[in-house]
Amino acid sequence: MIAITGTGCISALSLNASGFTSKLSRGIGAISKQGESGTYPGAYITDFDPASHFTQEQLALLDPFSTYAVVAGREAIADAGLTSGHLQNAAAVIGTGCAGKHTDEETYQKLYVQKRKRVHPLTIPKGMPSAASCQTSILLDIQGPTFSVTSACSSAAHAIAQAALMIRAGIADVAIAGGTDAPFTYGLTKAWEALRILSKDTCRPFSENRSGLVLGEGAGIIVLESERHAKARNANIKGYLAGIGMSSDASHITLPSAQGAAKAMLAALKDAQLDSKDIDYINAHGTGTIVNDATETKAIHIAFGNHAEQLAVSSTKSMHGHTLGAAGAMEAIATIEAIRTSIIPPTINFTQAGENCDLDYVPNKPKKSIIRYAISNSFAFGGQNAVLLFASNNT
Amino acid sequence: MENAQKQQIINIIATHKMLDSSCISLETPLEELGVTSLDAITIAYEIEEALNIEIPNDQIQSIVTVDDIIKTTDKLLK
Repeated sequence: MIAITGTGCISALSLNASGFTSKLSRGIGAISKQGESGTYPGAYITDFDPASHFTQEQLALLDPFSTYAVVAGREAIADAGLTSGHLQNAAAVIGTGCAGKHTDEETYQKLYVQKRKRVHPLTIPKGMPSAASCQTSILLDIQGPTFSVTSACSSAAHAIAQAALMIRAGIADVAIAGGTDAPFTYGLTKAWEALRILSKDTCRPFSENRSGLVLGEGAGIIVLESERHAKARNANIKGYLAGIGMSSDASHITLPSAQGAAKAMLAALKDAQLDSKDIDYINAHGTGTIVNDATETKAIHIAFGNHAEQLAVSSTKSMHGHTLGAAGAMEAIATIEAIRTSIIPPTINFTQAGENCDLDYVPNKPKKSIIRYAISNSFAFGGQNAVLLFASNNT
Repeated sequence: MENAQKQQIINIIATHKMLDSSCISLETPLEELGVTSLDAITIAYEIEEALNIEIPNDQIQSIVTVDDIIKTTDKLLK
């Protein structure tokens, strides 16, 4: 199994992972009406000062999506107690769904609105989708394989899976992996608005009166290590990544398939050599859209059969918002912490169960319960599904 | 070129490289100031924006010292 030895997170809930999980475990949300878009609620990071983390020279090359990745990565490395020696051959895989939208949109504004003739020379190195993984490598001195992966809302889960596969293959002993996104730009908010899936209310996953997703921003990064490497250096093992399941719906660009999602959950169980009855908790994809939540519920029934009724299923997006390419990592951190503390974070803003939503969604209040194994679901536009299965450090 | 414009160019270089402008003389090779090729095109961009000129690629490539930048800019302003 792959040991998880460090976590880092910057989100609307908190600028660090311990603040993030502490609020989740108490059912405290961060969705507000503040921010640039104005019209739609969002989970906005409002108290972050990049200048306290980076020099001006560094900031010139950092789009917010890179800034978030490096801050979370730095915290995860410190949390794991890794030194520069450990990072010489470490991997870094950073997921992103949106990449450098702030940089791109500022550039387009200059060209198309201000009719300027030239754009800043750092536009490409700052805004390219791989910029976050480049800066993670450069600023944290990670010298093994580093790259970005992108699969919309599954990006971070796919990134963690890719990192784990590299460790299994012996390519690296240590990997920093997760995801980052900074989607609060005018153009991108308008693009989400055009899909008519943004809630004007709040995020109410699985609830009857749910009205869509609420965007969030930030980054989540975890440190993965081969169990041998972690134990050899006496690292504090928070839990294990015991299984990975990936599948593709191969059907529609936006409509999810229950069969495809179930296939990924079953693949994770198979990979971990576990039975569906071994799972106690599912950190759901749970976006709060009409279609996702009913389809995900159906997928859980398909994958878990009668055991579905015994599962606790919650969506922490109700608290940190849908952070897109970062979501899978933030939710992985939430899942690891739920196992570690035996506190299941709730689905907040829940009123009553929606049609075809008939599971225990841990409504509004956290639940104390021993968790042996838990899965974190990430499903994306295009039907790209990634499921991570985590185990307690007592297994 | 007016002294004010010379100073403006020196200030752009100093700000970009986070140096005290008093450390920069006309003869200083840009390499000594730690100016990389990416810095050079960024400084050129800042000068273009400040003085509303366009510095052609071939002229950027032949710049070695601070004075080269000032002379190149001066020609383009005329």
